[in-house]
Amino acid sequence: MLKMTHLSKVYRTEVVETYALRDFNINVKEGEFVAVTGPSGSGKTTFLTIAGLLETFTGGEYHLDGVEVSNLDDNARSKIRNEKIGFIFQAFNLIPDLNVFDNVEVPLRYRGMKGPERKERIMSALERVGLASRAKHYPAELSGGQQQRVAIARALAGTPRLLLADEPTGNLDTQMARGVLELLEEIHREGATIVMVTHDPELAARAQRNVHIIDGQVVDLAEDPRFHTAYTAAAGQVRS
Amino acid sequence: MHIQPILAALRRHKAGTVLIALQIALTLAIVCNALFIINQRLAHIDEPSGVDEANLFVIANQWGEQYSTQEAVERIEQDLVTLRQLPGVQDVTSSNNYPIRGISNDNFITMTPDQRAPTSDAAYYMGDANFVRTLGLKLIAGRDFRPEEVQNQGLRQTVDPSVAIISKAMATKLFPNSDALGKHFYAMTPNPITVIGIVDVLHRGDVSTWSAPYIGESMIVPVRPADPYGIYYIVRTKPGQLAAAMRAAPKALYAENRMRMIDPKDGLLSFAQVRHRAFESDRGMAILMSIICIVLLAITAAGIIGLTSFWVGQRRRQIGVRRALGATHRDIMQYFMTENLLISLGGLAIGVVLAFGLNLWLHIHLELKVLPLTYVLGGTVILLLLGQGAVFAPALRASRVPPIEATRPA
Repeated sequence: MLKMTHLSKVYRTEVVETYALRDFNINVKEGEFVAVTGPSGSGKTTFLTIAGLLETFTGGEYHLDGVEVSNLDDNARSKIRNEKIGFIFQAFNLIPDLNVFDNVEVPLRYRGMKGPERKERIMSALERVGLASRAKHYPAELSGGQQQRVAIARALAGTPRLLLADEPTGNLDTQMARGVLELLEEIHREGATIVMVTHDPELAARAQRNVHIIDGQVVDLAEDPRFHTAYTAAAGQVRS
Repeated sequence: MHIQPILAALRRHKAGTVLIALQIALTLAIVCNALFIINQRLAHIDEPSGVDEANLFVIANQWGEQYSTQEAVERIEQDLVTLRQLPGVQDVTSSNNYPIRGISNDNFITMTPDQRAPTSDAAYYMGDANFVRTLGLKLIAGRDFRPEEVQNQGLRQTVDPSVAIISKAMATKLFPNSDALGKHFYAMTPNPITVIGIVDVLHRGDVSTWSAPYIGESMIVPVRPADPYGIYYIVRTKPGQLAAAMRAAPKALYAENRMRMIDPKDGLLSFAQVRHRAFESDRGMAILMSIICIVLLAITAAGIIGLTSFWVGQRRRQIGVRRALGATHRDIMQYFMTENLLISLGGLAIGVVLAFGLNLWLHIHLELKVLPLTYVLGGTVILLLLGQGAVFAPALRASRVPPIEATRPA
């Protein structure tokens, strides 16, 4: 489903080159629930933005659902984002001027879907996250957990092949976070491929597989003791 | 087009939306009426005089001595001979006035001697047997004056002409259902005047709006004004000889008799100058209205650019989210263009009502004609295009917001 090979991302200024990802390799199979962990600045979010085609990469290869994406133009990348990827952001990223129904509708409109089908999908997605009764509410009228559920409904309405979640519970209290996580697990059980970036080892433990990123590279903590101390320290910081 | 969510979003930004819509409405109301006024003024400026303007000039001659009527007649005859002998001069006549001079001599016209409300208030030109030919008027019916029909009129004298040549506009006004030739009318005297000729066009002396109901209604009577204080000589030159003849004419007249005054500023005018002076205020008004239109349109465009730029800046993250969810550059462009279109349409709907309301006010208080629908439609199209043009640059900027913006901290 998602395969990156020797992928690199370099941010260049006039005086310095910074590698956000270096010789980055990952292979996420269809139907997997993968948690991507790592300390701050390790490259987790860069990985996620590249995986979601929000950003381009500098070198290597990236195959998404069998398609090599490095040579795609902006329109083709927009189309893939719209049809194959669902995003769940830490800050929910709902459009404040639109009510819940219209927010969930946004990606479906860009897909050119007809009105009746849109409505059916939106209501189905909202029912799935338990917010069908709040369809006419605006984001500001909802709690953080409810807003994240709307964001999940928005991601689900388009029936994406891949769900990318960036710290989906990062802005939520424990109870709300648990609810959102249970929802993600339920979605995964129904066959969705989920890649979730998180700081939280407890959250990561709920995923099928964990991928650790340190200094822009995927590392196997069990087999590479060089990073064991750093990982433990980082995990400890997050818990505290 | 995603109209419903755009409208929903606009409802959340009422203040900016309403302000721009009102600005568009006011601009439409003012621009429509201003364009209408400009067009009317330009049409006024282009009104035909009926004379051969390219080859005519006028001399305003004031005598330096007090002459009797007979002496004045003799002096005028001598001046006409002098002018006629100048190289390049085709014909010469004298008159009390000339078309589009800025002031009319006019007479109330009635169809019976005891009629109370006049049928017309016609411009009244005195001319000899050369008048029609010299001015280059187009005689479309009847005949010109015969020399023996021409009478002299001195200061404080009244002659009672029995025949007249009238303009087609006057003929139509006086005799709408029949041929005017041979018919009679009255010009504030008990004696009837018979129409012996009709010229196609002969503009009045004045160009002001008060005489609009009598536009083009003019008459020529076979009278030579022998005013001892002054008279107008109208000189027609051969093509291309106007400038030379204008230079030579005052010199020749002064050489013939120095006891006269031809004002160096206003005493010698080509017809091009006459027209320029006559319609100066119309031209000024047209320019002023044009400036008002341009300034208003510029302010409206600036308002649209300003507000859209502000909204683009404010919604940068939101645009990034839309891009992340699959919006293309074109979708984002279309969003802002459609948003502007909807605001503009709202403003224009109000503006149409305001435009006709303002026109009604101008109609009642300043006698402006009723605003034709075409001006409102034209103004609507101009403002729609202006709005779309103004929003283009900010919309383009918005479309370039990258999808990564969705992940940036708020």
